[in-house]
Amino acid sequence: MAGTAITGTPPLLQAEVRHDGRLLAPWALLTTLLASSSMLYPLIFPTDEDRSAFAAAVGSNPAMAIIFGPAFDLSTTDGFAAWRSLALGGLIAALGVIFAVTRATRAQEDSGQAELLASGVMGRAARLMAAVWMCLVFAIVLGLVTGLVTVAFGGGWNATMLLAATMTATAWMFTGVAAVTAQLGSDARTANSLAVATLGVLFIARGVTYALDAPDWVIWINPLGWMTETKPAVDDDWWPLLAAVALTVALLVVAFVLQARREFGAGAIAPRPGPARGRDRSTWRLALRLNRGPMLSWTIAFIALGLVFGYLATSVTDILGGDAALQQMLAAGAVTDAELVSAFLVTILSLVGIIASIPGVQTMLKVRAEELDDRLEPIIVTATARPRYYASNVLIALGAPAVYMLVAGTLMAALAGAADVGVTFGDVLLQAAATVPAVWTVVALSVAVVGARPHVALAAWAGVLVSFALTILGPTFNLWDWVLAISPYWHVPNVTSADADWWGLVWISLVTLFFLMVGFAGFRRRDLATQ
Amino acid sequence: MGEIDAVIRVEGLTKSYGRFQALKGVDLVVERGQVHGFLGPNGAGKSTTIRVLLGLLRGDGGTATVLGMDPWHDVVDLHRRIAYVPGDVSLWPGMTGGEAIDLLGSLRGGLDEARRAELIERFELDPTKRGRQYSKGNRQKVAIVAALASDVELLILDEPTSGLDPLMENVFQEVVGEAKARGASVLLSSHIMTEVESLADRLSIIRQGEIVQTGTLADLQQGSRTTIHATFARPVPDAALAELSDIHVDGLRMTATVDASRVGDAMAQLTPFGITALTVEPPSLESLFLRLYEPDADERAS
Repeated sequence: MAGTAITGTPPLLQAEVRHDGRLLAPWALLTTLLASSSMLYPLIFPTDEDRSAFAAAVGSNPAMAIIFGPAFDLSTTDGFAAWRSLALGGLIAALGVIFAVTRATRAQEDSGQAELLASGVMGRAARLMAAVWMCLVFAIVLGLVTGLVTVAFGGGWNATMLLAATMTATAWMFTGVAAVTAQLGSDARTANSLAVATLGVLFIARGVTYALDAPDWVIWINPLGWMTETKPAVDDDWWPLLAAVALTVALLVVAFVLQARREFGAGAIAPRPGPARGRDRSTWRLALRLNRGPMLSWTIAFIALGLVFGYLATSVTDILGGDAALQQMLAAGAVTDAELVSAFLVTILSLVGIIASIPGVQTMLKVRAEELDDRLEPIIVTATARPRYYASNVLIALGAPAVYMLVAGTLMAALAGAADVGVTFGDVLLQAAATVPAVWTVVALSVAVVGARPHVALAAWAGVLVSFALTILGPTFNLWDWVLAISPYWHVPNVTSADADWWGLVWISLVTLFFLMVGFAGFRRRDLATQ
Repeated sequence: MGEIDAVIRVEGLTKSYGRFQALKGVDLVVERGQVHGFLGPNGAGKSTTIRVLLGLLRGDGGTATVLGMDPWHDVVDLHRRIAYVPGDVSLWPGMTGGEAIDLLGSLRGGLDEARRAELIERFELDPTKRGRQYSKGNRQKVAIVAALASDVELLILDEPTSGLDPLMENVFQEVVGEAKARGASVLLSSHIMTEVESLADRLSIIRQGEIVQTGTLADLQQGSRTTIHATFARPVPDAALAELSDIHVDGLRMTATVDASRVGDAMAQLTPFGITALTVEPPSLESLFLRLYEPDADERAS
């Protein structure tokens, strides 16, 4: 029986690889770039003094630990590579396979493609099997390419290959997670959201546990913690990877059992009859309704982020207490606690801002998806002007991230303000508000892309990627200011500093305005998508 | 001829996608109060023309006027007065059919509550199901109800019944007939012969981006041929078959075609040979289509 369930897997796998291979390649490219670019470390930080100063800077900003995980050893190039690429490389690899698994399973059922396949000579489990195999093999390829290229640029063999293997292992585990969520959600979007949310929670949890020096067991209950505990270039432990393989197998077993039990096209949650009459009677209500689900999830996510980062802010000084170099600087009056805390807050709020721009871009890409699915056409042929339709969506794309920023900001402000660490409630909230214009610039780019150049809709993500690369990764490259200034977050002033320059916000808002005008003009003038 | 009251007037409309020329100078006139059939093979440019009329696409050249307005510039005012049913209806997966009807109706400026209820009843539509649960035919019913429940001057229907069963197809024809009786004009693109035959006052046939024929059904049948099946008592000599063509003789049975205007003459020549059985088929719309859709139809059409 098990034999017939997967009949037809090989030809399906072949078709899948041909169809999806191109979409997977960029993820491997990203991890390779991330790891191999770390080999520039000797150029950026040539001397031991440079490196220990850099280590002190990293150590003094827990925001960095949340994103990159703990820095075990920044004195060597391999240690730097491990610190900078392990957490993010795993994140990238995991996202790649999550989307691939969902694309090859749930998304096909949504589009009806799978129905054609299911009626052919094919076992019930063949589609899931093909998707899983593709991703497992892809994860190995990703690890090999990342590892070998990095070694070619000068990485140490053992440390580099272990680092690359953690990315493969993370991708394996999330192939398993996505295989399970594809059975739970009854459409592709739900399946993706469940898997990405799992990844996000584990990722932030790992960062926070290391930043707070939490007890060992907290690290070990998090599968992503196993990856960090391999400590490439320091301990070079390979055995935690075995746990990842075991978890992958367990998740896949669960996925196949769930898959065998459910009916075609159905999920764990069955749809019920809805209202016969509608209350949503404007484009604004429609846009709100289409974004309702994601808005709820993101609000919860930002409440969580606000609490976590707010708590972290209150303990910044404790965390830094162990750092000898920093203690000297504090004692000498070179820096104050309040300065450290506010530097931390600027960085972490930039990160929160970058995350907040993601739902904004998603809202704009949803407009494009609606157009491609022929659901924009019936709206436009009513007495609805195009700018009005676009404006309803742009309002949500800009408004929701601003609200998320203020939600997270208020929670951080409440926690940090109450903890007597040298910043007030008003400072933190004002800092969060000052970050909002930068978020808008990034989202406005997607408004311009979807309005004027929808064929390259992926370019809508450019703002998010560039601001992340420059604002979060940029400092680890010691980049020049004029390069860093490309990211709108660079222009966000530190509101507690006496010489805060507010003009930066004016400039980036002019850019925002320009993007919005391009987007509206484009959407008004262009042909709508036809099949 | 005097100025006719046209709801749609298209002259020399062109539209290209890159190097592919989808419309090569379309001329189309739809008179007020009429149902105008818009026919043509797949990919001939029907939907492209309709999308230009709806202001979804912008024509490259020529002019298009709908209800006296420019469909690209006067979008909002124009759309208040027209309703559209596409052939491929896509609904919001999580929204019920009833909600979609109300949303689209409100965006058009309100709908007739009594007619909404009546149409849902007649089309046997369950408005509490969600978009993703509907079959193709049911999605189409949602779009039809949404369009026909509002009081509009012009209905633009692009293969509106391609997923409906024959019973619902009948209901659809009744409903469009009622809309016409209320004074609405209709542009109806369709592949269903009976639908066009029973509803359309005039027809336009488009092929490869150009209108090749336009007129009433009778006009279009003018140049086409009637089919005669006959059985004779005695063999018919070749001389008596002069008016006929496409002749197939099988013993005493014969099938042939004759120019529609010469049926009488042909009968006069055949009667002396003792006709024992006879059927005369006027040119059907179907044979007309087949003739006009054929790639070599150009010469005959022009």
